[in-house]
This record gives sequence, C-alpha cells and structure tokens, in this order.
Amino acid sequence: MGIVQSPCAMAVVSDEDFKKLADLVGQLNAKVQALEQAHEQDQQTIKQLERQEGTTKEMANMTQQKADAASQQARQPVNPAPNIFNAATHNVMLVGDAEIQYGKTAGQHSSFALADIAPILLIRANDSILFEAGFDIRLQNGSSATLQNGQTGNLGSQTSVDVSFAQLDYLLNDYVTVVAGDMLLPLGTYSERAAGWLNKMPDDPLARSVLPGSGVGIQLRGAIPVGDSGKLVNYAVYGVNGPGSVDGTGNSTFKDSMGSILPNLDLGGNVGITNSGNNANLHQNPSGGGRLGFFVPLHPHYDFELGVSGQTGAWDSAGRRLWSGAILDAAVHISPYFEVKGEYINSWVETDDIGIYQPHGWWVQAAYKLAALNLDLPIISNVELVSRYDTAADGLGLKTNRATAGLVYYFTNTLLFEGDYEWLHSRGPDALPGNAFLLQLSCGF
Amino acid sequence: MNSLVSLKRRLAALIAFAVAMVTISGLFLPLVYAGGNAESEKAANNTTENPKLTGADLYAIHCNRCHAERYPKEFQASQWKTIITHMRVRANLPASQAKEIFKYLQEESGN
Repeated sequence: MGIVQSPCAMAVVSDEDFKKLADLVGQLNAKVQALEQAHEQDQQTIKQLERQEGTTKEMANMTQQKADAASQQARQPVNPAPNIFNAATHNVMLVGDAEIQYGKTAGQHSSFALADIAPILLIRANDSILFEAGFDIRLQNGSSATLQNGQTGNLGSQTSVDVSFAQLDYLLNDYVTVVAGDMLLPLGTYSERAAGWLNKMPDDPLARSVLPGSGVGIQLRGAIPVGDSGKLVNYAVYGVNGPGSVDGTGNSTFKDSMGSILPNLDLGGNVGITNSGNNANLHQNPSGGGRLGFFVPLHPHYDFELGVSGQTGAWDSAGRRLWSGAILDAAVHISPYFEVKGEYINSWVETDDIGIYQPHGWWVQAAYKLAALNLDLPIISNVELVSRYDTAADGLGLKTNRATAGLVYYFTNTLLFEGDYEWLHSRGPDALPGNAFLLQLSCGF
Repeated sequence: MNSLVSLKRRLAALIAFAVAMVTISGLFLPLVYAGGNAESEKAANNTTENPKLTGADLYAIHCNRCHAERYPKEFQASQWKTIITHMRVRANLPASQAKEIFKYLQEESGN
C-alpha cells in the first residue's frame, strides 16, 4: 500500500525559514497573551469603575432621600395628626340624651319644664386618643324685670349652655388611661354612670349635692381583669384645682346682695380661668382624689360592685382650710330584672368661724322589671318599677329626707317615660318645698 | 364630745345604708323568680364555673350595669369602635374585655 503526497507538501522548506516562521509564531503568541492580559485588566478596571459608580449613585440617592425627609420634616410636625375629617361618619360622633319634664310641687303651680338636651361629642383621633365633651343646653325663664310698683316679674326666656365635661383620653396601654381636662370625677359612680337618661328617676339623689360633679385637672385610670370570669379591679387617681370659696375666705357662709346667707363653699367652680380672664387657680393648693372598685360578675346580669373613693384639698383662697369627701358605693344586679344601687357620702369642711362641719347623706335605689313575671303582655313587660330613699344634710342646719316611688315605661331601649311621686320632708333654713309629682320623657341617642 | 356624737350618727347612717342595700336585695329575690323566667332559672341553676366569657357575655354584663343594651345593628362597626373607646374610659373597663366586646359588636353589626 503506497502513500500519495501532494506536490506542495513535497516542496522543500529550509531549516532557516522554518526557524524564522517558528519565531514569528512565538512572537505573535506573546503579543496575543499580552493583549489578553491587558484586556483582562481593562475588564477589571471597568468593573471597579462600575461598582464605584453604583456606590456613588446609591450615596447620591440616600443623600437625596435624607434631604427630602429633612425638607418634609421642616414642613410637617414630627407626628402628623391623622385627618379625622376624612372619616367623619365614624370617628366623630354625637351621642347623649334629651329630656322633657312635667312637674307639680306642693305649693307651686304645675308646669312643663326642663326642655333639656345633653349631647356628648366624641372625636376619636386614632385607636389611642379620644376627645369627649358633654354639653347641657336648657331653656329657663328669663331675667327678672322690675315693675312700676316695685315688684319683680319675669321677662322672656333664656337658654343656658353648660359644658358638663370636656376631656382628652389617651389610652396609654392596657392598664392605664390618661385623662386631662374638665373631667367627671370618680367620686362614687353616679356622675359617670347614672346622670341624665341613665338614671331611672327624673332627678338626682339629694346627697349628690354635697359632692363636686367635675373638676379641672389630670387623672390616671384603668382596670385590671382578675381571671377569665369577668372579675376586675378598677382604679382612678387624679389631681384637680379643687373647690373654691365664694368670697375667698374660709368662713362657712357669706351674705349676698339680697341679704341671704348662703354656704361659702363652692364645689362647682375653680375651673382655672377667672371671670376677668386671668389664668389662675383660686388657691395655691390643688386637691387629690381617687377611687378603687371591685366588680364581681357571677353570671351575665348577676353581679355586684363595691367601691370606695375620696378627695381632699384646700378650698379657701388662702389655702388653709380643707374640704374632704369620702364615698362608699355599691351596686347589685340579680337577673336582668332587678338591681339595687346606692352611695353613702360624708364630707368634712374646715372653716375659720365654726370649726369643721360635715355635709353628708346617702341614697339607695331599687328597680324591678315586670318582664320577670313573664306575662306575655307588652304593656306590663315594658314597665320597670323604681323606688328610692335618699337623705342629705348640708351640715349648716338643713336636713332633708325623701322617699320616691315611680315607674319607667320603655317604648324602646332608648325612649323612656318616667313617672314619680316624691314624699319630701325638709327642715332647717331654706328648707326645700314639699312633695312633688314628676313626669319625664327621656331619649338617649 | 360633739365629734363623738357626730361619729356615732355617721356610723348609724352607714349601717342604715348597708342594711337597706342587703334588705332590698333579699326582699326582691322571690320576685325575680316569680315568673319562672327561663333565663333567670338557667343562670341560677348553672353551678359550673364559666371558663371564659365571650364578647356577648361581657357586653351583657357591662352594658346592663348602667343602661339598657343597644342592639349591635344600631351602629356601624366603625362607630362601635368610637363608642367602645368612650365606654372603656367612662365605665373603666379592662382593655382585654373592651376588645372582646368590640369584636362581638363588629361581627354582629353586619357592616
């Protein structure tokens, strides 16, 4: 078998030419390697530059963001307030009650009275902040006019608007709520839980007149559950301006322009701004108080609550005389149909002229729903029988006892008709009028 | 001497208050069960301890302490949120119980 070679292959290449060619290939190879190395370095340089560019851009972005944030902060408060007005249908609410009354007191003409509306404005800024303000708008006879014969007569009517309370509630955590402003005071439970349409009687217990209903200051309050059965301990501690003195002294009474002698202790004033517009407490020393309550439900609608509360602080302008009050409150529910509740109240007033006097009193109120009889007659089942015994003494000679019997008819769960007869026995200076008959239509909303 | 007399009077009044509370509760007990109402009997016979109260239970317990219950459908869920916040402060309710009550009202309000 023979091998056939091409004519070219058979051409003769000298050793010298071959060596030159080999050197040339070697040089070219070296150049290629050098170029590859240079290319690789270039690539690395490009990548490094790209990284540097990225970092620079990132820093530029962060700087821009910081600048934007700083600019934003400069334009807005640190924590922008929520826009509650976009949600006015649920974050802003009006609740409260309205009453119309007809009354007849012994020795006086009967009359329609007390066209009264008491709205409560609720503004919930967020889950933790609620502002609430209660108003009391009433119609009453107008200013007295002096007649030609020297006697006085009534002229027109007047509408009074009172701020019952105006407070900001901040739910600090599950156990503490901070309340500030003009607050309903937790002295007993009546002011907070039974006023207006919540009360099953058209008027307040006499003994409540020896206590302030509200005060301007700050309060911490909350409740701690005990187990899973609904038991709880609730508490409230507060500091308020406290009561004031009408004439500024520590005397027990003062004489007004008509010559009447009246108690000098003013439980409802001292709201921090004087009628001349000055911002001042009437005396230097604020009052402190609080309440501790224990609530035990045995079943739904079967429960009892006991509470003790009190307040003490100066009341005269010199800040030398103390007003102190102590209250024991209790409430019992036995079934959805029966409840009894009441308060025992005692107070001590230090004076310049008569030492210490003690306004005091107590009240017990029981209510029984005829629905318990299970008669299947709506006109009977919608009735709740109510009775109350209350007593009060102002410590300056006026003593009053009152027994009340009446009923509540529930047209709906919020529209009630109340009718009461009151047997009242009052003695001492400025004794109260006698027995009274009261009818009232109340509407909660 | 005067202060001792005064103290005795205050104590007598306090005792009268306590006696009135207990006596009235006792006197009305037979009336509560006079109609043989099923709900009263059920609660009275229920001797087992309720392990944990539901939102509905807590609503019945707390709201009836002061006023007749409002029906859940009377307000929207978002309105209940505002009302419960108000009532948590006013009635001094524990946060955990207020949340359970709100959850119940939110579900039952239907919106």
